[in-house]
Amino acid sequence: MSFMPAPLGPIRPAFLTRVTPAARLVAGSIWLVASIVTLDPVVPIRLSVAAVIAIVLWSGLPLRRIPRRLAPLGFAIASLTFFSILFAGANGDRSLDALFQFGPVRITAPAVTGGLAIGLRVVVIALATLLVFGPSDPTQMADSLVQQWHVPDRFAYGTLGAMRVAPFMADDWAIIGAARRLRGLSSGGPASRIRAAGDRLVVMLVAAIRGAERLALAMDARGFDSGIRRTHFRELKVSWRDWLTIAVASLVAVAALTAGR
Amino acid sequence: MTSPRSGPPAVEAIGLRWTYAGRPRPALADITFRLEPGRTLLVLGPSGSGKSTLARALTGLVPHTLPGIWQGVLRIGEMNVASTPARFLGERVGLVFQDPDCQLVMARVDDEVAFGLENRGWPRADMQARVPIALGQVGLTGFESRATGTLSGGEKQRLAIADVLAAEPSLLVFDEPTANLDPPGMYDTLEQLAALARRRQHTIVLIEHRLEAALPLADDVLLIDDEGRQMAFAPADSVGRDAVDLLERSGAWVPRAWEGADMTGRGAGAGGAGAGGAGAAIAKPPSMSSGAPVLLRAVDLGVDYTIESGVHSAVDGLSIEARAGERIAIVGPNGSGKSTLLFALCGLRRPNRGSVGLRALPAAGEAEAAEKFRDPARLRSNEIAVRIGLVFQDPELGFVARTARDEVAASELAAQDRNQDRDPQGHTAVGRRRTSAGPGSVPPDADGVLAQFGLGHLADQDPFRLSQGEQRRLSLAALALRPPAVVLLDEPTFGLDRRGTGAVMTLLDAMRATGQTQLLATHDPRLLPHCDRVVALEHGRVVFDGSPDRFLAEPPYTPAAPWRAGVATETATETAPKPAAGQTR
Repeated sequence: MSFMPAPLGPIRPAFLTRVTPAARLVAGSIWLVASIVTLDPVVPIRLSVAAVIAIVLWSGLPLRRIPRRLAPLGFAIASLTFFSILFAGANGDRSLDALFQFGPVRITAPAVTGGLAIGLRVVVIALATLLVFGPSDPTQMADSLVQQWHVPDRFAYGTLGAMRVAPFMADDWAIIGAARRLRGLSSGGPASRIRAAGDRLVVMLVAAIRGAERLALAMDARGFDSGIRRTHFRELKVSWRDWLTIAVASLVAVAALTAGR
Repeated sequence: MTSPRSGPPAVEAIGLRWTYAGRPRPALADITFRLEPGRTLLVLGPSGSGKSTLARALTGLVPHTLPGIWQGVLRIGEMNVASTPARFLGERVGLVFQDPDCQLVMARVDDEVAFGLENRGWPRADMQARVPIALGQVGLTGFESRATGTLSGGEKQRLAIADVLAAEPSLLVFDEPTANLDPPGMYDTLEQLAALARRRQHTIVLIEHRLEAALPLADDVLLIDDEGRQMAFAPADSVGRDAVDLLERSGAWVPRAWEGADMTGRGAGAGGAGAGGAGAAIAKPPSMSSGAPVLLRAVDLGVDYTIESGVHSAVDGLSIEARAGERIAIVGPNGSGKSTLLFALCGLRRPNRGSVGLRALPAAGEAEAAEKFRDPARLRSNEIAVRIGLVFQDPELGFVARTARDEVAASELAAQDRNQDRDPQGHTAVGRRRTSAGPGSVPPDADGVLAQFGLGHLADQDPFRLSQGEQRRLSLAALALRPPAVVLLDEPTFGLDRRGTGAVMTLLDAMRATGQTQLLATHDPRLLPHCDRVVALEHGRVVFDGSPDRFLAEPPYTPAAPWRAGVATETATETAPKPAAGQTR
């Protein structure tokens, strides 16, 4: 039983679910680079629009559930943008006109565009991440990295195993906190709260390490990393879709950077 | 030994001894036996007897993965375990562990079966042919693309068996494969085991507590004592009386079929216990439940979870009431909502619908508690602590201190601190009188409690370093100084041998004698006769609420056999509860 929300996976086959994860990672990285090489907020806006179109048309993800899942990130982006604008260096430049002034608070136009650019970059990163990791399960991602990029087995499948049990850690954290409350230990000042968080962390880490040890033992018992060259049950074939995805992503990035200039 | 074949035995141990690095005593010692191909060996012994270590040695995890000192000889076929690289052993031996959640590596069923084959370098075409066959052998055909996380406990364990069968090993080792399963899951798994044993294509080493089902599968038995020493190795049908006596004395579960002659020294009631009269062996402490005040009340409880396919109600329209001094068993298949219910009752999980109300135990002499039912989620930490406590299946999650003594004293010290700081009415209002702890004065008698719970010598130990049985007793001892009115216990006897189970139940009896209400979520049918009531769940609803006798006569589940059969092992499981004199305060 889990307190964690279910993973956001594809609910129907779509174009991007048939593209190998490694190719999606390349395409996503191109957009990532394109969004950070300029301070012009127009570029991340164009890329965000392109990403939304790709998610809607080709990702196979459950569209209705995406907004709620991205909501916490939206809050983070909004506050990041707000504070980037508020504390931008350009606000102190007396040669620029103020768009807004209230007491010591002074906002200039370059500060607004700069702040928006920073916030919008994170929007692009979030949407691109969804396009890269959303359309396949983590196993496919690990298979793809091992087969196409020759990432070491121990790293890829070890991480995969860890990801599978990671949600249990969040549960453990909640349960350990509740256990302290039921023992009458959780009221008190901030200092005792911080100390309690430390104790909680110790218990959670012990539980996590015990779990990891058991999983590692189970993997070893089944011959993992025993010196034999590993083969692969699922074959990942590079197809025209991979190349098309990378090509289109590159074209969109170039267009977003150069159009109207 | 008469060998039916001329080839080498499937397994041969000669003076095997293993000491884990950093431990003073060997986990296994003087293990000498010879198991012929196609036979099934059942390994019996109390907790901590090195049964799991033997399983690890057979798969080469000991000595190749885990550090320690190896002596003697262990051979699998013609391979010497100590000198054969793990990868060669891995091709011959498959190991199934007890916790299905800790041995499934992949997210999809077919990937999971293929994982071991990939590790051994099978060509893709061979894997694609082999995976469906292995799934078919355990009845999971058609499950290929299912997510492993969505399988039931029994299905997960069948998948784990398919995992090891896929690699076509000659030796299969099962380390308590049913320990985490509900009775139907357990029967499911044991049926798979029985089918494998009958086929005789594999040599099987089985470590299993559920002896009624396991013993008939066994050709040979190996008895190990609590220090890892071999007590006996013999064909299953000719185990010597003295060996059985040794096993009994070691505190292990003993097959009922072997018990007959040994009943003499026990209470007369035990001998008379027929197949149905499981509860006869134990004198039940008088129940205080009739007419006692209701301490816990849940009405139309609903708890939802968001899962991939939408919203799932783990608990749905559930109502339950528990009176002072009542002990209620909460039973039901894996995933029927038992854990969710416990979490909701103690305020750890907020219900989506309905309400939970808790009431403190009225002080002696007072009339029916005047107190209103309080919502656990709204109570302050000190207020909830006197009303309800939770003992986890994994006691480690509940530990709050670095030594056993501090663990026992923690709640009491926190209460004393609070008295000092603010409102002294905070807990005295609930009427539970204790040592007259003036502000910051009397140190709680943690050592006394530890002694009562048989943990006196471990007062300065880190709770995390205790054995499974000791941890369980400590988690109960932690509630002793300020006993909550209601205590919820999640699988309180999980993984304990006969002696450990008896110790826990004796302590629970003593705590109940003071009027404590106890709710036990359990898969263990052996506990049912010790309860006043059984509440059975299915799909988050109550499908039965009545006496244990009625439940066992007519379990609301199909097939019902697993629930009844489990109780048959009962009889002398407990050292009959001693008068609770030492335990009450």
